[in-house]
Amino acid sequence: MNVTGTVAPEGRSLLYDRSARTRWRLGFDRWIGRLLPLLFLVAILPILSLVYYISAKAVPTLSWTVLTSTSPYRTDALGVPIIGTFEVMTVATLLAVLFGLFGGIATAEFLSDRVAGWVRMSANLLVGTPSIILGYFGYFTFVLYFGWGLSFIAGVFTLSFFMTPYIFRTADLAFTSVPRHIREAALGSGAKPAQYILRIGTPIAFPQILTGIFLAMAIGVGETAPIVLTTTPGVLAPHSIYSPVTFLTQLIWENFAQAPSTGLQTLAFQAAFLLMVTVIILNVVVRLISNRFRKRLEGLYQ
Amino acid sequence: MSDAAPTPHEPPILNVQGLSVLAKDRKILDNVTLDFPGHSLTAVVGPSGCGKTTFVRTLNRMVELTPGLRVTGKVNYAGQNIYAREVNPVMVRRRIGMVFQRPTVFPMSIFENAAFGLRLVHESEDVIDRAVTESLVRAGLWDEVKTDLDRSALSLSGGQQQRLCIARALAVNPKVLLLDEPTSALDPAATQRVEQTMERLKQEIVLVLVTHNVSQAARVSDRVAFLHTGHLIEVGATADILERPKNPLTEQFITGRFG
Repeated sequence: MNVTGTVAPEGRSLLYDRSARTRWRLGFDRWIGRLLPLLFLVAILPILSLVYYISAKAVPTLSWTVLTSTSPYRTDALGVPIIGTFEVMTVATLLAVLFGLFGGIATAEFLSDRVAGWVRMSANLLVGTPSIILGYFGYFTFVLYFGWGLSFIAGVFTLSFFMTPYIFRTADLAFTSVPRHIREAALGSGAKPAQYILRIGTPIAFPQILTGIFLAMAIGVGETAPIVLTTTPGVLAPHSIYSPVTFLTQLIWENFAQAPSTGLQTLAFQAAFLLMVTVIILNVVVRLISNRFRKRLEGLYQ
Repeated sequence: MSDAAPTPHEPPILNVQGLSVLAKDRKILDNVTLDFPGHSLTAVVGPSGCGKTTFVRTLNRMVELTPGLRVTGKVNYAGQNIYAREVNPVMVRRRIGMVFQRPTVFPMSIFENAAFGLRLVHESEDVIDRAVTESLVRAGLWDEVKTDLDRSALSLSGGQQQRLCIARALAVNPKVLLLDEPTSALDPAATQRVEQTMERLKQEIVLVLVTHNVSQAARVSDRVAFLHTGHLIEVGATADILERPKNPLTEQFITGRFG
């Protein structure tokens, strides 16, 4: 918009300000306005080039056979790591939801402010803990101390510990941000705390909690350290909880730079491509869910 | 305005004896003793900060949801002190309903909002159907919503939402209904509808209305209790209190010299 053009000519208006300082400011404003889209391009360029580079390396060789073959004799098959990732993510998510959801509800509804404060701080600390340290925790606790060895179950537990604080935080926040007057009205109608949580709190908190779960999944599926330190890659899909298991990120970790053949390197790119698509899909699903539920709750937060 | 004085022989369903509420550093309510006779509307009035909202929240133990407050004294409901050790506050709140300053409808259908209290005690569908209809009629909302009970309650106007909250409280058939400034968020037309509802209801149950609005107390109440800095200054028939107040503080308040 041409700001100077809308200002009245000299003498017409008290609002007219023709000082050099004002003119300089307006000019500066205009240039910054032009610069911002450019800076935005600079910011998203790495992401775009990443998407392009991985897609270019992965897509030409990606085929249905590569995605589905579970043959242990092929080096260009992703079936085993896909199944492994799916199984690890399913169980780890269930565990993380169990810990996170109950922890979050307990913190928001039942704990005293002081104790809740400590719990929240611990959760924040856990989110800030580098995943490699959590991986070591998993290695010493589950692999060695519990004696589970490098196994599916050790990886699942370590990953679920990594995902829990994300779900915990959103569940806690979702329940504490239920409008106070709604909570009081439910309890004032004679709802027991559990009835309030199930009938009123959960429907209101649900979209946020679901967002937290999908976010935790998107972060968890891309984790490498907690998995490589607690599991060992298998040539077959896991058949017991103590089996070896291959996670997609493990494939990247082991194959990307060190692998002797370009075939294995290509496999790493394909795994990366799959992860990228998964994370994008999870994020889109989060958006769709929260939009859908926001409509239903419209008018509640007046 | 009704001049009908409460019949002295009818034992009050609700009465308060020596009730005090203590916060960390001060007394919010100081030794309040008050009867609520049947079939009447008692308006609790007073300047802001006088403790009237805290007072009404002690009558069904809602006050316990605010951390850091201590309640001493007795609130007797049907002859039983609701603060006795063996009394479950959930059960108290199921008998003594409450309506709040702001409409507090839940994000569900109109029908389910009215049915909320009955679902908590797992009533049968037949009972719920009948009770929902009856309570919506009693709250004066039935004619406006009878054709779309399945619509979201959030789509109702503020005044309709408030009457739905009254219906929700009535559905469990309480003998006492507490109203904490129920019209302070409503426009004049909606206020009038809620006041009509209160006038009808006071024929059937005990109503306790907290209001900062003296003219509202004059319009709908049978008795007025005047609270000032946590003390019960004066209580009596509405006409007596508003036209011939005994205490100078009461007179100053009703003539609008503070509030």
